Amino acid sequence: MTEYWPWWLGAIGLGGVSILYLLLIGRLLGVSGSWAKVVAWKENREQLEAAEALVEDTEAMENALMAETLAEFGEDAIRELQAESATNEAEPAATASLDELESTTPWTAHLVFLLSMFVGAFLVSWFTGEFHPRLDLSDVHTRIFGSLWEVWLALLVGGMMVGFGTQMAGGCTSGHGLSGCARLLPASLLATAVFMASAIFLSLLMEVMIR
Amino acid sequence: MNTRRVKQHLAYGLVGLIFGGVLTRIGFADYDELHKMFIFADLRMLYTFAGAVALTMVVYLVLNRRIPKQHKIIQPGTIPGSMLFGFGWAITGACPSLVFVQLGMGALPAVFTGIGIFIGVWLYRKVHGRFFGWDTGTCGV
Repeated sequence: MTEYWPWWLGAIGLGGVSILYLLLIGRLLGVSGSWAKVVAWKENREQLEAAEALVEDTEAMENALMAETLAEFGEDAIRELQAESATNEAEPAATASLDELESTTPWTAHLVFLLSMFVGAFLVSWFTGEFHPRLDLSDVHTRIFGSLWEVWLALLVGGMMVGFGTQMAGGCTSGHGLSGCARLLPASLLATAVFMASAIFLSLLMEVMIR
Repeated sequence: MNTRRVKQHLAYGLVGLIFGGVLTRIGFADYDELHKMFIFADLRMLYTFAGAVALTMVVYLVLNRRIPKQHKIIQPGTIPGSMLFGFGWAITGACPSLVFVQLGMGALPAVFTGIGIFIGVWLYRKVHGRFFGWDTGTCGV
């Protein structure tokens, strides 16, 4: 049995990750949000493409309008117009859509985030000699759920509950529990209290039942 | 534009690597440890979590202005969704990030949990679009 980090070191590590995420990526850590992006990869891609097309279209349309105006009124009118628009600052509309495009994170970045968690866990457990492939989750888990196929079925159904529940609640341990609670958001405090309480309730129940 | 995309992917990858490693060393993905926390046999990880929240809170206060606005509201799904998640967490020992850490530590059946989460997320999107339609404020959007 290997020793895990003492609580204070774990707290520094876990808090450090959430801060690093904010500093490097500029958003608040929320893994269920990453899941949502990856699962909805198609919509995310279409959204990105639409945003890009819009920006390109805007440019194309401006060019076409400019050419038309040029043909109709000649150079002088254009110069007047440009002087006017410079004073009116008509530009922000175009740049705003560009900013929006830039802030849209591609779903592949979220996929990289999720997969690199696997790689990080693998590397660390490999180098600390803790990597032990096994077909069940743990001894306690097997004692609760029984034979191998029951364990697998429990994991599949439980996983569906986790996926459905985190989307419904609008966050998970990281989004609500860590990022949200750190900001004392009422929704996050409520969600964290509820999911901790339900996990504790069911764990105690399972503990009583296997005795 | 392209270098920006690459940098973005690298940043996500780096944070993911560290996140996975840290969770491994804390033992969050170890079902036995997690179960011990839930039945109050060992409160180490509860303190870890509380400590991490406290540390994050302090840094958020310091960085006050640089923190992006977060859209999290109490909505009709907050309580039932959290309950469902809590029960699922107790059964699988996995929240959406821990499933990858479990896999990385060698717990191969976490694949089933991963498939389950994928189906669950996908299913919720369908059900939500069809029946609920309220604002969930899911993070990271």
